[in-house]
Amino acid sequence: MISASAILGPLGCGLLGLAAVASVIRLRRLPVRARYAVMLVAALAAFVPIGGLSIAAYVRGVTGDLSAATLVLAGAACFTQLTGRTLTGHRDKQALCWLLALAAAFLYPFALGWTRFDPYALGFGSVEFVTALLLITVAAWVTRLNLIVLVVVVAALAFLAGAYESRNLWDYLIDPLVSVYALVRLLAPRIIFRQPTNRSP
Amino acid sequence: MPPQTAGASAATPRYETQLLPNSTAQSVHSATAAEISGGRLVAFWYGGSREGASDVAIYTSVYSLKEGTWSPERAAMTRELAQRHLQRYIRKLGNPVVGRDSKGRLCLYFVSVSVGGWAGSAVNLMVSEDEGETWSPPRRLVASPFFNISTLVKGVPLVFSDGAAGLPAYHELLGKFGELLRLDSEGHVIGKMRLSWGQSSLQPVIVPRSDKEAVGFMRYSGDPPNRIVMVRTGDGGVHWSPPARTELPNPNSAIGSVLLSGGPLLLAFNNAAENREDLSLALSTDFGNTWRIARRFEGGSGSPQAPVPEYSYPWIMQDRAGDVHVLYTWGRSRIKHVRFNRAWLEGRP
Repeated sequence: MISASAILGPLGCGLLGLAAVASVIRLRRLPVRARYAVMLVAALAAFVPIGGLSIAAYVRGVTGDLSAATLVLAGAACFTQLTGRTLTGHRDKQALCWLLALAAAFLYPFALGWTRFDPYALGFGSVEFVTALLLITVAAWVTRLNLIVLVVVVAALAFLAGAYESRNLWDYLIDPLVSVYALVRLLAPRIIFRQPTNRSP
Repeated sequence: MPPQTAGASAATPRYETQLLPNSTAQSVHSATAAEISGGRLVAFWYGGSREGASDVAIYTSVYSLKEGTWSPERAAMTRELAQRHLQRYIRKLGNPVVGRDSKGRLCLYFVSVSVGGWAGSAVNLMVSEDEGETWSPPRRLVASPFFNISTLVKGVPLVFSDGAAGLPAYHELLGKFGELLRLDSEGHVIGKMRLSWGQSSLQPVIVPRSDKEAVGFMRYSGDPPNRIVMVRTGDGGVHWSPPARTELPNPNSAIGSVLLSGGPLLLAFNNAAENREDLSLALSTDFGNTWRIARRFEGGSGSPQAPVPEYSYPWIMQDRAGDVHVLYTWGRSRIKHVRFNRAWLEGRP
């Protein structure tokens, strides 16, 4: 029997590929029919096996299964490029990126084994971790940061359903790709604004 | 090659050596074995044109304890098969380890890499309900938040007192450190404990003495002095002592260890600080506090030398009848099997 992760894993990687293609070629500038045609071709290219494996499966070999944060952002990007409408507000997205950047700074350095403390182990059902996540989600809901709430809800449902091979909640919430995306999105404007000018004093 | 025998009964010293069959692979490495029904051992190792090549497969062979012979080897897992079952690109295969879970099923864990070198490894699990005749499709274990890479295995799997499987693992991405993974009955990683941290210890081997007490040994890859690293737990693996260097040398090489029936702790290791040309056995009667070198079976004048004098990755186990078996990489070209009994071990070196 095919496991859920064998289906959902490549699907997630394919969705990320579609979002990348749509964003890079700025799909929404094209006529509506052309948008759907491009996405159809991209989907076929992503999921049709070549030599036994699809491109999505090759991507999965590198990235592993993608987190809810990546999938929600990729899905939103696809929607925006296809319809021309924006699903997520700037404030919503910025808040999610800050949260992802903070989570990445907490998770990844320690996961490299620099200390005895291993925050990744908290994802295996730690009460403290689940409580902290619940508080963050409630705070996001109260302040109407709905994107954070959506990501956490999708991650929690996927985790409870055992959608992926992982039984660690961290893997459903965050991955290195979306962490890099969040950092670039937060830092890029600051770096651009701080470039020295040629004007004389 | 027929076994070279130096004794056969339990009362008299018994010492036999033979090379495992290898009809195709130019390079073999990292043997693992378990006792199965019918008075047999089943062994696995990886082999191919060279380490890390795309033609590397996991090979298996069965040994009859009564007849003292190994069956012709066959591939138990290939890169192509792993790729098809795991539904992702696989570039190469690596270390296998075999053990049993709490249900008595054989569990074969093996390393695979999709991108990069061994630091890009992930671990996969196959389960057999019929003593290795057939295997489930492999499933991926997830043990790292970095694209689930940099997890490898070498040490003997064990079973926790609550029935969960324990799998000693280690990481090689920037840091080098050991962990003990907890797996549920379906083979999902449901917890882990860090055995060491930093950049200098890997390939943990855990030897339990009771439900609560265990000792672990690790390969050392840091600055001199090069010594085997040891950790201990007294609470069933919840907490571990800080890693400490033992008196035993370690040339950045893997270690094998087993608790023999009756109590002594036996260690198979390279008894040199700089190379893998010596393979020896050390005994401890106080669960790792003090050691004495019991035997040396590679590197001496009595043993035929491999074309490449490197003897590494020992896997050590004791069968139900009490004989001890060591499998290790012999000159990178063959897997060697050494079988001996307590009378030989405790005799004069």
